[in-house]
Amino acid sequence: MGTENPNRPNFPARPAVTPFAAQQSATPFLSSGSVVGSEAPPFRPVSTASSQFSTPPFSAGSEGPAFRPPPTSRSNELVRPPPPSASYGPPSSGFQHFPSPQMPSTGQLPPPRTSFTGQPVVPMQTRPPPGHVSLPSQPQPPSVPMGSPPQSIKTGQPNMNIPLSADQHFLPSRPNAQASSPPMGPSYATPRGTFQSAFPGYANMQPNSVAQAPTMQPSSFPLQQGNYGPPAPSTPFLSQQRGYTPGPPMSTPSGLYTGTQMQQHGIAPPLANSQGLAEDFSSLSLGSVPGSFDAGVDVAALPRPLGGDVEPKTFAEMYPMNCSSRFLRLTTSGIPNSQSLASRWHLPVGAVVCPLAETPAGEEVPVVNFATTGIIRCRRCRTYVNPYVTFTDHGRKWRCNICSLLNDVPSDYFAHLDASGIRVDMDQRPELTKGSVEFIAPAEYMVRPPMPPLYFFLIDVSASAVQSGMLEVMSQTIKSCLDDLPGYPRTQIGFITYDSTIHFYNMKSSLMQPQMMVVSDLDDIFIPLPDDLLVNLSESRSVVEAFLDSLPSMFQNNMNVESAFGPALKAAFMVMSQLGGKLLIFQNTLPSFGVGRLRLRGDDIRVYGTDKEHILRLPEDPFYKQMAADFTKHQIAVNVYAFSDKYTDIASLGSLAKYTGGQVYYYPNFQSSIHKDKLRHELARDLTRETAWEAVMRIRCGKGVRFTTYHGNFMLRSTDLIALPAVDCDKAYAAQLSLEETLLTTQTVYFQVALLYTSSSGERRIRVHTAAAPVVADLGEMYRLADTGAIISLFSRLAIEKTSSSKLEDARNAVQLRIVKALREYRNLYAVQHRLTGRMIYPESLKYLPLYGLALNKSTPLRGGYADAQLDERCAAAYTMMALPVKKLLKLLYPNLVRVDDSLVKTEEFDISKRLPLTIGSLDTRGLYIFDDGFRFVVWFGRAISPDIAQNLLGEDFALDYSKVSLSQRDNEMSRKVMKILNKYRESDPSYFQLCHLVRQGEQPREGFFLLTNLVEDQVGGSSGYADWMLQLFRQIQQNA
Amino acid sequence: MGDLFAWLISFFLVIGVIGVILYQLMCLADLEYDYINPYDSASRINKALLPEFVAQGVLCFLHLFTGHWVMFLLCAPYAYYNFTIYTRGRHLLDVTEIFNQLPWEKKVRLYKLGYLVVFLALTIFWMIWSIVDE
Repeated sequence: MGTENPNRPNFPARPAVTPFAAQQSATPFLSSGSVVGSEAPPFRPVSTASSQFSTPPFSAGSEGPAFRPPPTSRSNELVRPPPPSASYGPPSSGFQHFPSPQMPSTGQLPPPRTSFTGQPVVPMQTRPPPGHVSLPSQPQPPSVPMGSPPQSIKTGQPNMNIPLSADQHFLPSRPNAQASSPPMGPSYATPRGTFQSAFPGYANMQPNSVAQAPTMQPSSFPLQQGNYGPPAPSTPFLSQQRGYTPGPPMSTPSGLYTGTQMQQHGIAPPLANSQGLAEDFSSLSLGSVPGSFDAGVDVAALPRPLGGDVEPKTFAEMYPMNCSSRFLRLTTSGIPNSQSLASRWHLPVGAVVCPLAETPAGEEVPVVNFATTGIIRCRRCRTYVNPYVTFTDHGRKWRCNICSLLNDVPSDYFAHLDASGIRVDMDQRPELTKGSVEFIAPAEYMVRPPMPPLYFFLIDVSASAVQSGMLEVMSQTIKSCLDDLPGYPRTQIGFITYDSTIHFYNMKSSLMQPQMMVVSDLDDIFIPLPDDLLVNLSESRSVVEAFLDSLPSMFQNNMNVESAFGPALKAAFMVMSQLGGKLLIFQNTLPSFGVGRLRLRGDDIRVYGTDKEHILRLPEDPFYKQMAADFTKHQIAVNVYAFSDKYTDIASLGSLAKYTGGQVYYYPNFQSSIHKDKLRHELARDLTRETAWEAVMRIRCGKGVRFTTYHGNFMLRSTDLIALPAVDCDKAYAAQLSLEETLLTTQTVYFQVALLYTSSSGERRIRVHTAAAPVVADLGEMYRLADTGAIISLFSRLAIEKTSSSKLEDARNAVQLRIVKALREYRNLYAVQHRLTGRMIYPESLKYLPLYGLALNKSTPLRGGYADAQLDERCAAAYTMMALPVKKLLKLLYPNLVRVDDSLVKTEEFDISKRLPLTIGSLDTRGLYIFDDGFRFVVWFGRAISPDIAQNLLGEDFALDYSKVSLSQRDNEMSRKVMKILNKYRESDPSYFQLCHLVRQGEQPREGFFLLTNLVEDQVGGSSGYADWMLQLFRQIQQNA
Repeated sequence: MGDLFAWLISFFLVIGVIGVILYQLMCLADLEYDYINPYDSASRINKALLPEFVAQGVLCFLHLFTGHWVMFLLCAPYAYYNFTIYTRGRHLLDVTEIFNQLPWEKKVRLYKLGYLVVFLALTIFWMIWSIVDE
């Protein structure tokens, strides 16, 4: 439909950008439009036109049924001056035009024939004179009129507008409508509702800019409005409006309506009844009905997690003794009581565990020392004592909450019970009151003396490493962290460097300078010294410092470009295998020498899209997996730092980190001048954060359920024992449950996560998190208790795992399919009692699921095809996402976008929580925006930004190429403010350093690369935009529904 | 006489292959019930893989050369399967992913076992037949 295109232009300000925005044209929906066009020429020849409304019989002018809210995307349209109203006049029939104003904007709406005579007037108002048009930033006036008038038309009352979102809540707000004409109180047909809502939404969006006219905002109508009001077909007014229409006096426009309205009525007979009030699901009206091509989604009304991740609260309230949700999140807190129920749920049943999550001050996990009694555990299932065990027999026995076995209470642990059966010493026993405790483990929990914290560095010193400056930044950082390494004075440290040979360093404390030994026989690696390659840091401190000082200069003139990575890895393994610890690998090139050498792959485009594509994402050489398995066996965790701009086969290198519980840090095209701060921060955090060593983790759960599959970066040591050579607060693990018995008879299922580890101080400890969850027999309840964050976390891990055995597209489709199945099942729950036509319904708890699903499909590991992301980048992101805790993952999927120029100019304090929807429509050419996904900042300068701001922030560089400019603190208020904001964001999320990328509007390809591809709600490349995505889901949900 | 001899060899080969498969299944079951660790389990199974493949291949060629066409055709699919996974390098168990592969690997071996039992029955039948025939 050519027609749509015209709309596009409307992002007036930025031509360059438009393509992205524009994409909508592509939508399938177009075709139908023609029908309308003819009839309502004045309107934009709108595309689809027509009837979204399937249901009701259109009595008369059926052609024009178009209530559909205009596709949101179109918002641009506002801009256009509407053709003079003439068109509206058409006589007759009964088609009411609703929204004349909309029409212009959406194009879609135009019901062909308007009956309203009055209308012409209205439109005039609404439309801004051509001149105004467009820029969002511009004076809003246009917007105001637009918003309200239309409404008036429709509803008859301008006031009606109600704040968007809350579907059900608006009742109170609407009072006028009802009040005004109580008797009339027509029912709104739901579809109608949608129509309206869409419109308003539309209005809202545009002006995302601050300016929105107040009236506008309220405009969105909750869908459900329709429901209120008894159906009162009788009065003409009613019928028109279907809804609220207030009595004629109220709104002039209404008066205009003529008999034609009746038809509308016919179209959507008042369905509503009071049941709307009782609906316990959220819904989104999508105007389309199966079979119709027209789509109308009110973009502004789509749910967005602008408040960030929200943890379900009901659960915590129900079981106050549960561990905090930062440690354990269940995908649904209602555990299904039967296998058939579980299979109908379609989403994963499982948990995401972050055993060492950082706790805010004051909520530290209490440490309990059972020195004399030994740790109290169930004899049979080995569950640790926890708040949910019950004491009986005057306190002499306790019943395990997981397996219900009656255990004896050791005499040292005995306490009397009070009248209500509670131990008298309850308040002094954190293990009986808190969901998270840490036990100090006695010698039985050790297979060897607790290991000291051990850091071993394997450093590539080939020519590229030296040239990029990586070597220098790294040695400086390590040196500055020496004081903060955990575990003083037991900490051990060692180094190996390599290019085409391997260099060992003797760091014996009696030496002044480290001694270097070169081994060039790569086929048969041996260790030149039995010890002293790994030394105690506090004893050899001066030697280590001398080494780090001289390291960059030692290899300054190294011209060797080879990398004997495999042999060096083996050497490091031999040095470390006695103790275990953490191995940090700094790799700059593709391993090219000796065992484990890799070759360039992934540059053959023909492979993409075929069945062999996934092989590129798997380790090429089994050497790496084998080494990873050996590392885990010997308690060595590997962190890989990769720096090359060329292909380094992160898929292979990363598998070392994946199976040892490590992490991959990837700095493509590392240049110390740009990435210095990022490497410094992340390396320092890696070295200094509290780390748990030689750990194993097990999740126990009650009878009848069992954790079957585990997802994350680790290796399983037995079916349910996760081996973690090193764990820290930035790692989370996911697991899926399955039901072993067909029917669960218990009321509650308990989960207990136990992490046995050696702390940096050399203590063996067990961290135990306990949670209880109710067993439910009702599918609706499962949905109500669902946790989107945990579900998405599991989804992303499953999808990433799927990319290593099939095509990207299959992985994306799998995500989509599961969402569709889940929502379809949910729809079926309510389809009988409620009228759902034209609405997509979902539980309140899952309202963000579709959006996050979309964002997941557009995330680096899953997006597009060959050209959309470098293979290495994809793999690195995949390894990272496999380990991310829920909150950070959600932030990565739906990043923060905030506008800061206003607060720079004014004096007010910057409101960090004012997030914007991730669509290009949120960006105003005169604004300054910060985009933060937890891994980087993108600072976006609008084209029309006041030079003042740019100059203040960037000094003299503001006119240069932004890729060469960095944001640093300058001596003026604005600059200080921006830096303050950035630092605030950084502090709130210290796991990674967010490097600042400056982007100017229209500066391609940087803008596209950094920002536009990450605006997940927009249509980019071949992927759909948010509104389209919802329609796709909606359509699929309706099939076979 | 030669035919009987061929059937005898074939009989022992089938028994041998069944034994190896049973051993692998046992290792997998032990792993599942946590009697041995994944490292040992994987290395034991991987050691037993080649003998299995070789014995099966020999069996296949034996039937080919002795002109037992039906039996040859029966064993060909199995040999072909082994050959393809071997050439793709997927025959070895991956210790890092062994728990995820466990259900599949067990299933494969159970199918092989069923197949071999049928094969064994046929072999015995033909062996007795050839004895009677003489």
